[in-house]
Amino acid sequence: MRPWVRRSFRNRIFVTMLLAALLPMLLCGVLLMRLQIVRSEEHLTRDAQSQLADLRAALDNLGSACSQAAGELAASTVVHSALRRGGGDSRTLYQVLFRCAQPLAEYVRFDVYDRDGFCRYTTAGGLPDEFLDPDWGVLRAAREAEGVVLRSGAEGGLTAARAVRNYAGTALGYILITAEQSGLDRLFSGLYPAASEVLLLDSRWRPVYYSRPSQMDSAAGVLRSQLLAGEPLSGGGYRFFVLAHEDTGSTLVLQQPRAFTDTVLEAIYLTGALMGTLCLLLSLLAAWILSRYLSEPVQQLDQAMGEVERGRLDVRLEADRSDELGRLAVRFNRMAEEYRANLDRSVQRQKELNETRIRMMQAQLDPHFLYNTLDTMKWLGVGHQVPQVAQLATDLAVILRASISGPEIVTLERELELIERYVDIQSIRFEDRFTCEIDVPERYQSCRVPKLCLQPLVENAIVHGAADREEGYVKLWAGEEDGELLLFVSDNGPGIPEDVLERLNSLNKELPGGHLGLFNVDSIIRLHYGERYGLAAWNQPEGGCCVGLRLPIQREEKADAESSDC
Amino acid sequence: MRRLLAVFLCLLLASCGSAAGPAAFAPEEADRLVIYTSHPQSLYAPLVKEFEERTGIWVQVETGGTAELLERLAEEAAEPRCDLFFGGGADSLTARKELFSPYTSPMAEEVAPGFLCEDGSWTPFSALPVVLIYNPVLVRMNPPEDWESLLNPVWHGRIAFASPTVSGASYTALATILQVLGEDALESFYHNLDRQALSDITFVVDEVSAASAVAEGSCPIGVTIEPAALAAAQAGQDVRLVYPKEGTSAAPDGMAVVRGGLHADNARRFIDFALGQDVQRYVERECLRRPVRKDLLLAGEEDLLLMDYDLYQAAANREAVLARWRALEDGA
Repeated sequence: MRPWVRRSFRNRIFVTMLLAALLPMLLCGVLLMRLQIVRSEEHLTRDAQSQLADLRAALDNLGSACSQAAGELAASTVVHSALRRGGGDSRTLYQVLFRCAQPLAEYVRFDVYDRDGFCRYTTAGGLPDEFLDPDWGVLRAAREAEGVVLRSGAEGGLTAARAVRNYAGTALGYILITAEQSGLDRLFSGLYPAASEVLLLDSRWRPVYYSRPSQMDSAAGVLRSQLLAGEPLSGGGYRFFVLAHEDTGSTLVLQQPRAFTDTVLEAIYLTGALMGTLCLLLSLLAAWILSRYLSEPVQQLDQAMGEVERGRLDVRLEADRSDELGRLAVRFNRMAEEYRANLDRSVQRQKELNETRIRMMQAQLDPHFLYNTLDTMKWLGVGHQVPQVAQLATDLAVILRASISGPEIVTLERELELIERYVDIQSIRFEDRFTCEIDVPERYQSCRVPKLCLQPLVENAIVHGAADREEGYVKLWAGEEDGELLLFVSDNGPGIPEDVLERLNSLNKELPGGHLGLFNVDSIIRLHYGERYGLAAWNQPEGGCCVGLRLPIQREEKADAESSDC
Repeated sequence: MRRLLAVFLCLLLASCGSAAGPAAFAPEEADRLVIYTSHPQSLYAPLVKEFEERTGIWVQVETGGTAELLERLAEEAAEPRCDLFFGGGADSLTARKELFSPYTSPMAEEVAPGFLCEDGSWTPFSALPVVLIYNPVLVRMNPPEDWESLLNPVWHGRIAFASPTVSGASYTALATILQVLGEDALESFYHNLDRQALSDITFVVDEVSAASAVAEGSCPIGVTIEPAALAAAQAGQDVRLVYPKEGTSAAPDGMAVVRGGLHADNARRFIDFALGQDVQRYVERECLRRPVRKDLLLAGEEDLLLMDYDLYQAAANREAVLARWRALEDGA
């Protein structure tokens, strides 16, 4: 992933845009969703707590009313005397009992038990044939305690009991106030929403009341075991709110249906995920388009630069934008144009420079003023009967004339003529101490060569080679290789020193030193025909040196025709 | 990039708050007691409720067959969850007495001496005579009168009996039969049992007992303990009790403090509570069990012909007998 991002400007833009678009949105979405859930749960929690408070208040009211009624009855002399007598139906007692029970009749039942645990009087219809073990459960607790005791029934329901005592403190009987499920139903009804459930537990979390009576035992059992195991209360898609009722030691539990059940949460998360996916796709598209819009000119510029590097100077960018990238394209175009013009100018200048250099080199061979003097010397030699002087002057004059005027390129035949004249001059100077042999086949005579390109070679062979010998020997011959003309001049002299050879054969002709003539010839040939042509020199194994020229074969048809005509 | 992602995830997780636990309502460790019991709910529930209300201790009850619960105790021996074993024949408890920590209740003086354990590793709770039952509609002629009649081929595959590998009381019944009829009676007795009933019946669940199997008529006769038979008869079911002529055993079921239990003190308080006169009387009245207290024993004991049941022999033979029994079950 990372190398892919780093590889291209476009990928960087793409990823950055994608993250910049997607991350804040996803973050906001998720946080909003959670916030919504938390807020509504908080709201529901407040509701549940206020409902619990209402339930507790109802329980409190009932409890205090019952406690007061039980106190009244336990203190009533009517009750005392009835229990002492152990007698049957007493109208007065029922009057007292009903007066006390009246305000609470809707919720609770009042019973009066005698000391042996038999029910004597009750506000329930008919006289029940009830027996409670006075050594067990609620009667025992009431006897042992001072005031009112509360006990849950085995089948639920809540019983408050108070012992009726004589002045010695012995229990004569018991007042029992029992709230059955139905009574508690009426007490709690309307205090909590229909969807919620209320569970009342005694001090040991045994069930007293449940708004769904059939499931009372199992629901309370589950909560009790969760409590004892130290687990959070849970189950059935409800949230549980617990409130302790300190006066009675009982516990109120409100089961509120979860607003965000698993299915609702699933739907919310699914919607969120869908929205997220949609946003992802949109961001992808936007990032893709934008990154392309931004990076395309840069890529084009990059490609164009590459083209320019490879030498294609005519590449141009489309400048159809007016922003920085558009201006960049325009400037690139201008720069490429300038660059091309610059290159052209410098090539032109180089050419001009080369021509100047050629003319300067030729001027070295052009002691112009001597020409007329030589002509005068020739006539003086003829006039004074010194034919060698006349011959010398004539040959020198021909050579000078050829070098001053005439075309730059001449036929090999013409060049060889000049060489012969030069050799004549040198023969007179060195008193025939060398012989020169020219061996150029007829077919090369018409080849075109730069004028006076052979003269420095022959001069080098005579002056540095053959002239120092008694039997000097210079040979000039021609050959052909790969369609190119080769001209050689060899001598039997001492050879060329190694350092000079090295300089001659190297391409760097700017090194200082002698043999200026040879360097000039090399330069002229290269400037005329290119770098692949030029001069090479080497020492021959049998002694002496050999200098060769490589030239393209360019025949002068016209010159041939002219010469055949002559 | 990676850090950003981590922060994002943290935020996400932090926003998923968890509900607060009701830790504030949970009782202290010192106020807890865990009981394993093989008694039916109708027996243990009122007792536990009364105990809780008198002491303020929170009791957790787990139920099962005696043998099964003893196995669990043995598995948990290194780290016991349970504090008190409540129920199970005295012979079963004696056989696994290494699981229990001996306790002599101050109430033990009140207990009839015949029921007490020699070394105090368990404490008796109630006496359980083993009785025969029959359905008078199905058995009109020659109802069973003695242990011998259980081996009668007439009853082949028709006797209701709980598996002694599950029920402690059932093992007591089996040991009684073997002590009366001799060890060899095991196989022929086994072949007279109703296999279906054998696998269905436990003493734990009130609804499925040997008594109910007989009352419903799925088996004509059965072997069970007195309270179960009396409860069925009292509930109006068509069941007759027979106290065998040879006499029967009245081995107590017991209570034992589990060795290494976390709340051993509370377990001892429960034993003291259960031996109290009020509790014993309540159990006699409500659960039709014979109390073990001297002061309550006198009433109505004369109708019971007791044999000379050797509880310790029964305990010593327990593994061997049960092995033979399992072999028979597997063979079947």
